[in-house]
Amino acid sequence: MIVFSGVSLIYPTSTKTILEDLTFTVAEGELVLVMGSTGSGKSSLLRLVNGLVPHHTGGILAGDISIQGISTREVKPGGLAHLVGIVGQNPLNGFVTDIVEEELAFGMETLNFAPDVMRKRVEEVLDLLSLAHLRSRSIATLSGGEQQRVAIGSALVMHPRILVLDEPTSALDPIAAEEVLSIVHRLVHDLGLTVIISEHKLERVIQFADRIIHIKGDGHAHIGTPQEVLKSSNIAPPIIELARALNLPDISLSVRDMRRVTENLRAELSKIDVSPALERHPTAPEVVIVDKVSHSYGVSPALREISLAIGAGEIVAIMGRNGAGKSSLLRAIAGILKINRGGISVCGLNPLELQGNERTKTIGFIPQDPSDLLYGQSVLAECRAADKDNKINEGETFALLEKFVPGISGKTHPRDLSEGQRLALALSVVLSAKPQVLILDEPTRGLDYAAKNSLSATLREFAGKGCTILVATHDVELVAELATRTIFIADGDVVADGLTVDVLLSSPAFAPQVAKIMSPAPWLTVKDVVAAIYTTR
Amino acid sequence: MNRVLHPLAWWIWAGSIAIGIAKASSVLLALVTVGAVAIVVSRKSENAPWSRSFQWALKIGIWVIAIRTFTGILIGVPSAGRTLFRIPQIPLPTWMPGIRIGGVVTAERLMATAHDGIMLAAIIALLGAAASLASPHRLLRSLPITVYEFGVAVVIATSVLPQLVSSSARIRQAQRLRGQNNRGLRGWRRLALPLLEDALARSLDLAAAMDSRGYGFSRKRSKYRPNSWRVSEYLLCSSAVIAIVFPIMTLAPAFVALVLVPSQKTSTRQVPVTT
Repeated sequence: MIVFSGVSLIYPTSTKTILEDLTFTVAEGELVLVMGSTGSGKSSLLRLVNGLVPHHTGGILAGDISIQGISTREVKPGGLAHLVGIVGQNPLNGFVTDIVEEELAFGMETLNFAPDVMRKRVEEVLDLLSLAHLRSRSIATLSGGEQQRVAIGSALVMHPRILVLDEPTSALDPIAAEEVLSIVHRLVHDLGLTVIISEHKLERVIQFADRIIHIKGDGHAHIGTPQEVLKSSNIAPPIIELARALNLPDISLSVRDMRRVTENLRAELSKIDVSPALERHPTAPEVVIVDKVSHSYGVSPALREISLAIGAGEIVAIMGRNGAGKSSLLRAIAGILKINRGGISVCGLNPLELQGNERTKTIGFIPQDPSDLLYGQSVLAECRAADKDNKINEGETFALLEKFVPGISGKTHPRDLSEGQRLALALSVVLSAKPQVLILDEPTRGLDYAAKNSLSATLREFAGKGCTILVATHDVELVAELATRTIFIADGDVVADGLTVDVLLSSPAFAPQVAKIMSPAPWLTVKDVVAAIYTTR
Repeated sequence: MNRVLHPLAWWIWAGSIAIGIAKASSVLLALVTVGAVAIVVSRKSENAPWSRSFQWALKIGIWVIAIRTFTGILIGVPSAGRTLFRIPQIPLPTWMPGIRIGGVVTAERLMATAHDGIMLAAIIALLGAAASLASPHRLLRSLPITVYEFGVAVVIATSVLPQLVSSSARIRQAQRLRGQNNRGLRGWRRLALPLLEDALARSLDLAAAMDSRGYGFSRKRSKYRPNSWRVSEYLLCSSAVIAIVFPIMTLAPAFVALVLVPSQKTSTRQVPVTT
């Protein structure tokens, strides 16, 4: 179906080889996972499949790629539109029309399909992806999961033989992600569709993959079955980390297999006392007080009478479905959103009235896209501006950045940094003011495991110094790793509020992989399990 | 479900009313018409990224009136009439006779400049109303675009423009949280850089998506839901043409905007045409 023969790729503006002499074939009905750290060239590989690279991006391509016998050298991406459906990283940017139904039909219109064929196929896809009730809605008003489904649908109406998905679940909550991936899984099995998918959150897709292409970042790639690749790869989901930590001879990819393998171990461990060690510090002074806050956009309520008190040094994760009100709550606390009713105080001050230095010393806010904060021409200029704004010694911000991600060149333009490095830069700029409360909105989008670990380490260190941290996220594994307390919001209400262990274990959809394997023992991360084993011996 | 009218019909409607107002050149008529159009927009506006453009146009209109009145008072040809007040006059060289800056402000001059400002603002408001009722995005897509590059550029421009407005608000907010006060030239530079990057990234994404979905690959393009031109469209357009023909009848454009449009029945659900 897809044949890569001796493919090498290099972009003219960079000296780094993206891919070097890559040869593989993908058979019909295969689901291939592409993994690699950020900036390693995953997206480039995906876009090579339909010729967007190099036709659309430029770059020097050696070797040949053929899709069902058609070489991407000879045809432009449009010529493969009937064979390859591609869904980009941010589907909202790729929508051409405003209405769901029109968007589904767009591709067929451009290829001059007959109206009755279009009509039939649109109905098919609306049913297949359960979009029928959204058919005449404006796309901009849909939730993230729904938008992702529309994007997949508009690729599927063309009846492609190959579907290419670039991080399809990175913006989705665990439940919406599962929904999208199970649809993809069904398409592979029912229609024999060939799927190529890239994803950072491996724990979500690993059980569906037939093969993995691991791009190493130096141009080389390791291709093989998931077991082969994950045995030695430096990127691994928690389930593999656990298998490695327990020295298991074989690698299992699903929770079910892993539970079978660890049956004896779990029986042995169940004897030890597992009362949770962490308790909230009752003596910590309350820093953030939210008192009966309600807010609505037009007629739809976003927050309903929410009351919270968060103490100094707590790391609080705020979870919930897309559109549950997480961002509204965080924005209200940060003082961007003027709430309809109720009161909020941060360190005894009204966040709406904070200005200039007083604001930066009280609240630090990292938006979903950290580059919104950056405007400097180089990393160094950005850090100097922060030094000046916060009236601290020159070089302090850069020193902070060096600590988070060593080896960044000060001359680099902020736009040329990888996602993880850019987040680190925004964090250093915000943290150099030493805020008492740090708020992060969805920080792990596009971050690989290494970048996520360094983020958690940084945040934990600051919490240790008394900084209160609030994180809104869909990433269950990050919450398990980082948060001391978890608040679950649904439809504008606080549904659960308590220790992370209690909240995460109470709902199966939001339980991290390790917890599912070791259930009913209350361990969330590999570290917890290893610590428990250590105490028994 | 109400049938969505052909986008071109709304643009012709708004354009004709605008011409009507300009011809009638009456402030009262212009204000009443804009009010009537506002009612139509609030009832018929589509739920799309462009649907807030009427509000934007009104805001721009207020600026236009303010600026026009201000410059009208400051600069102009001396005119006779009742003196309202006097501002200091700046002497100009003799080779510029007839023009002066400052000086006596008469009631007539004030009225004339305000009148011009309001007429201009009303026309801008009508364009905004057209964009609200049928987004330019949809309008330009429904026109036959034979040149591929031009078609891509038009679709990208009309979909990125409303996104620019929302991203600029988002970025400004984020930078305010960084303790920045985005005023003056420096503030603009700080806003412009992330904004342009954002817009460029979106445009490239959209162009890539259009390319990979076969845009421009086939010479001919079929229509999923053909925008047919039916009785409702004819009614709408002809009602607006009245506004041009009878601008002398003082309240004709307002009458057309208010009475004819909301009363027409547009409940026929459109069935795709099979050919």
